[in-house]
Amino acid sequence: MEVGREEKLARVRELTLLKRVWGFVRPYRVPFWISVILMPLNTMFALSQPYLVKLTIDLFLDPRHRPAPAWLRPTLHAAGAHGLLAMGTLYIVMLLGEFATFYGQFYLTMMVAQYSMSDLRTALFNHVERLPMAFFDRTPVGRLVSRMTTDIDAISEMVNAGSLTIFNDVLKLFTIVVIMLTFNVRLALWTLCAIPPLLIMVNFFRVRARVVYREIRERLAALNAYLAESLAGMSVIQLFTRERESRREFDELNLRARESLMLANIYEAGLFSWVEALSSITIAIILWVGGGDVIRTLISLGTLVAFMEYAQKFFNPLREMSQKYTVLQSSLVAMERIEALLQEKPIPRPATPARIVDRRGSIVFEHVEFAYRPGEPVLKDLSLTVEPGQKVAIVGPTGSGKTTIIKLLTRFYDVNAGRILVDGVDVREWDLTELRRTIGLVQQDVFLFAGDILENIRLGRVELDDSAVRAALGRAQALRFIEQMPAGLREEVHERGANFSAGQRQLMSFARALAYDPRILVMDEATSSVDSETEHLVQLALEQLLSGRTALIIAHRLSTIQSSDRILVLSNGTLRESGTHQELLDRRGLYYRLFELQYGAAEPAE
Amino acid sequence: MKRLLRYIARYWHRYAFGILCTLATAALGMAIPYLVRDAINAIQSHDYAQLAFIVKLICAAAILGGVARWFSRFVIFNCGRDIEYNLRNDLFAHLVKLGPDFYERLKTGDLMSRLVNDLTAVRMMIGMGVLSFTTTPLMWVLSLTVMLSLSPRLTLASIAPYLVLFFVMYRLSRSIMERSLRVQEGIGAIGAKIQESLSGIHIVKAYTLEEHQASQFRELNHGYNEQGLALARIRGVLLPLINGAAAAATMIVLIYGGALVMAHHISIGDLVAFMSYLVALAWPTTSLGWTISLYQRGKASMKRLNEIFENTSTTMIAEDGALRLEVTGEVRWEYVSFSYFANRNGSGNGAAPAYALRNIDVTVRPGEKLAIVGRTGAGKSTMVKLLTRMIEPTVGRVTIDGVDIRELPLGGLRRTVGVVPQEPLLFSDTLARNVAFGRIDATPAEVAEAAHVAGLDSDIAMMPRGLDTVVGERGMSLSGGQKQRVTIARLLAYNPAIVVLDDALSSVDTETERAVLESLGQSVRGRTTIVVSHRASTVRDADQIIVLDEGVIAERGTHEELMARRGIYAGLFHRQLLEEELTRY
Repeated sequence: MEVGREEKLARVRELTLLKRVWGFVRPYRVPFWISVILMPLNTMFALSQPYLVKLTIDLFLDPRHRPAPAWLRPTLHAAGAHGLLAMGTLYIVMLLGEFATFYGQFYLTMMVAQYSMSDLRTALFNHVERLPMAFFDRTPVGRLVSRMTTDIDAISEMVNAGSLTIFNDVLKLFTIVVIMLTFNVRLALWTLCAIPPLLIMVNFFRVRARVVYREIRERLAALNAYLAESLAGMSVIQLFTRERESRREFDELNLRARESLMLANIYEAGLFSWVEALSSITIAIILWVGGGDVIRTLISLGTLVAFMEYAQKFFNPLREMSQKYTVLQSSLVAMERIEALLQEKPIPRPATPARIVDRRGSIVFEHVEFAYRPGEPVLKDLSLTVEPGQKVAIVGPTGSGKTTIIKLLTRFYDVNAGRILVDGVDVREWDLTELRRTIGLVQQDVFLFAGDILENIRLGRVELDDSAVRAALGRAQALRFIEQMPAGLREEVHERGANFSAGQRQLMSFARALAYDPRILVMDEATSSVDSETEHLVQLALEQLLSGRTALIIAHRLSTIQSSDRILVLSNGTLRESGTHQELLDRRGLYYRLFELQYGAAEPAE
Repeated sequence: MKRLLRYIARYWHRYAFGILCTLATAALGMAIPYLVRDAINAIQSHDYAQLAFIVKLICAAAILGGVARWFSRFVIFNCGRDIEYNLRNDLFAHLVKLGPDFYERLKTGDLMSRLVNDLTAVRMMIGMGVLSFTTTPLMWVLSLTVMLSLSPRLTLASIAPYLVLFFVMYRLSRSIMERSLRVQEGIGAIGAKIQESLSGIHIVKAYTLEEHQASQFRELNHGYNEQGLALARIRGVLLPLINGAAAAATMIVLIYGGALVMAHHISIGDLVAFMSYLVALAWPTTSLGWTISLYQRGKASMKRLNEIFENTSTTMIAEDGALRLEVTGEVRWEYVSFSYFANRNGSGNGAAPAYALRNIDVTVRPGEKLAIVGRTGAGKSTMVKLLTRMIEPTVGRVTIDGVDIRELPLGGLRRTVGVVPQEPLLFSDTLARNVAFGRIDATPAEVAEAAHVAGLDSDIAMMPRGLDTVVGERGMSLSGGQKQRVTIARLLAYNPAIVVLDDALSSVDTETERAVLESLGQSVRGRTTIVVSHRASTVRDADQIIVLDEGVIAERGTHEELMARRGIYAGLFHRQLLEEELTRY
């Protein structure tokens, strides 16, 4: 009982998944249905050919001439002595019909699959892009890539080859059986004897092949993963003189892969050969049984030849059906994974975003609590205010919650308690796009897109022309090194900006923020030290970047800290000290101690 | 190609057996239509006994042919697999010998594509290729012989469509391959775009680039659709073309042959035999056209693989067993200058090479500790790479115990000088095996001890399976600091005579760095140690400190001496103390 219910549930689930796929195919339903109609037409054209062969033999070649069927008589009468040519013409018509219907059906299904799956992929991409940061924390990017490529390919295969051609195959088999039965029941039954051994063998190989194919996939994946990792870590292998051991391990994986691949070859070749042999044996059976019938004039010679031809057409659909079933199964698994991804909830957006009246750029944190994981609070009852136009530096040890403040402000995450106001409005009530247009973010590790410098500064806003980008780069002190490059603004940026130094990347990220021109700037200052010249440029660029904006900076450079209007000292998710440079000095607390230390450094050695 | 022939020669007896089976398959396969002809003739002459005999022969030919086919296919295909296996192993063995200059030129992605796609193309060429090149011509010869003997006129008329089929196939298969390559590249580009957009998702969100990225993605998809359909347009022709050729041939047999039957030139049996031969030839002829382009592609791929084999790196490792050398541990950089561009051909456009290091002369006495400090890009790591011969000096030499390291066996050198590299590269294996990476025979106790000294005890206690926990790909599941400490443990297990730490603890906080360095110092006491750091504050106890600035030694001396100078070092030291102070709070 339990099993039955589970099966029923699985059916229901499969049905919902297929419905989901259909949702994407639906916009292309016209070509889809045309291709569906073309399939039986194609079968008809293909199966009419052996029949024409039979008629030709019976009417013209067999010395015991038989009367032509009624529908053919007018044509033959008109052709007169050229009866044979008339049959040839008919044959060509059927052939062209087969050609055209096949091509039409093939191209249309490919088109439907290509377009609908491209829509699905784009929809998935759009969806994933809008998922909250927490989703990306727990999902490796590689997995998302394979959802949108490999898994969609599997579904695509079902759309263009798997699902409907199965029906066509069944139809084809059924038609062949009917034709044979109308010709001669006894001979038909004898011919059909080939089916059970074929099915048994196909099943036998399928069960084994499925196991082997899974093994192959796993073993090849392991082999290639090992290879990629070794190539990337080659310097370590060589430094630790591990060449021999690595080779041995690689050989082991290589051997295992070869073992399954060879086994698969044996099965595949076996099935292929069996089908070929069986089809020849079927011909022998037809000749034996049918030959006797011909001699006893129970059937015509043409019928015998037609039987042989039909029997040949029998095997392919039978062999392919099991293959297609596997395709169907794997595409359902793929769809299930995609469905799970589509079920992920994007960041909640307000139904009616608040209107922002005061646009001066203020930030307020009110009793904010936040934890990435329940029970591990990162921010505890944090309150702070940044007045419009103020530059505020945050300092504190790693893990004190500095970066989290930035992530909450830009709504990468939502607070657990308390609230965050930007320009007097809770960030959760802002239109998300507008909020992020208001707050510019400069991060420690600069992410550059593959493309050119221009695109990386513009970031999709075509209204920024060359001169605007140039101006931004100029203010960010980046124009000088860029103009020294052969292609200038059009200089290619490799994946992740690998062809630029850390300092150059940083300056470009400043230019990006300058071009974005946000009211509020949020920055995680880079810790990595750069050469002295670049360091100087960074200072200059920073001044440009901060002027005329509200700024919240996670500061690592002493100079940045000193030049800010206010300093927040964060520890363990709470605010420990806050005030202007002078206030903190007057307070004679931590900041004072730090300042003294620096002052002391300029004094003669202790 | 020569190289490939050597591999093929290794399996010549299996190939010979496979080809023999292929010949048998072809002969038996071609016998069947002839037998069908005899059977029909027997039927026409009402000869039961003859019919029964022929039917038995057909069954025998079918079964024998099936067995022969089975053997021929898997024996030949598996030869291909064997050669692929050997090639892959040899490629890997060669790759582990190539130095960093090679890996700078060829990126991992490119290499992977050669080792996966090109290797597949080569294997297809030697598997499918051999099978098709032997079977098809034989089938043609056999069937042509029979057909010509039955009726030369009908033969010439009916094979005409096949000549067309063959040449069209040859042309088509080339463009099919080109177009499928383009489709592959298309999906590759889509994957790369997803990878990029989602790796930079924080920038995408912060700069509200969702729509922008989506539109770029849509565009890529449009391109991919076009490529996919371009492929479909010609692939759709394939099957009708093959069937069409067979059917056209059948039609010629039917009309022209029919006329011949009516004129009593040939029998109906002959006619049926013709039809069967032509149907049987359709697929092999197709696959021959296909195979020729397989061959062309395989040849191009083999060339790309040969390019890897032809690389001999300057630092090719010798098979010397990598024994640790007996050294006292005196290390000297003797007036060393180094330029990354000096030994790179073609890039010398007249400009003087930019030196990463200039005239470095430093001696570390046995058992001493040398510290190298300086900003990023000052040349610290370059000094370390010179010591392990990952690169070689442009001018001057590096010596250990007074011997130029180029005269030492490379394996021995690397077994003697142990490095903790800047980037903590781990492998997706268990923690224990990562620690024992350089010494596979290390006992569990040694591994545990190494992990203990590297300060990993509390981290390991938190892991689900302790030292047997599998770290994710490239150590993804570990924090930066944990990874760095695992690499330290790896060095300890390696137990080298000379220890080099190349800014090995940049991702841990200063306090932890100090603690790890202290316990490390105790366990490597008495060994020559070279520590690279961008933090001046952690190297104060070194016997000798050198400060690199833009490739030259700007300052050198002990901590006290350098502090007294109040130069770069003193500035760095104070700055860092303050910044540490700030972040520590």
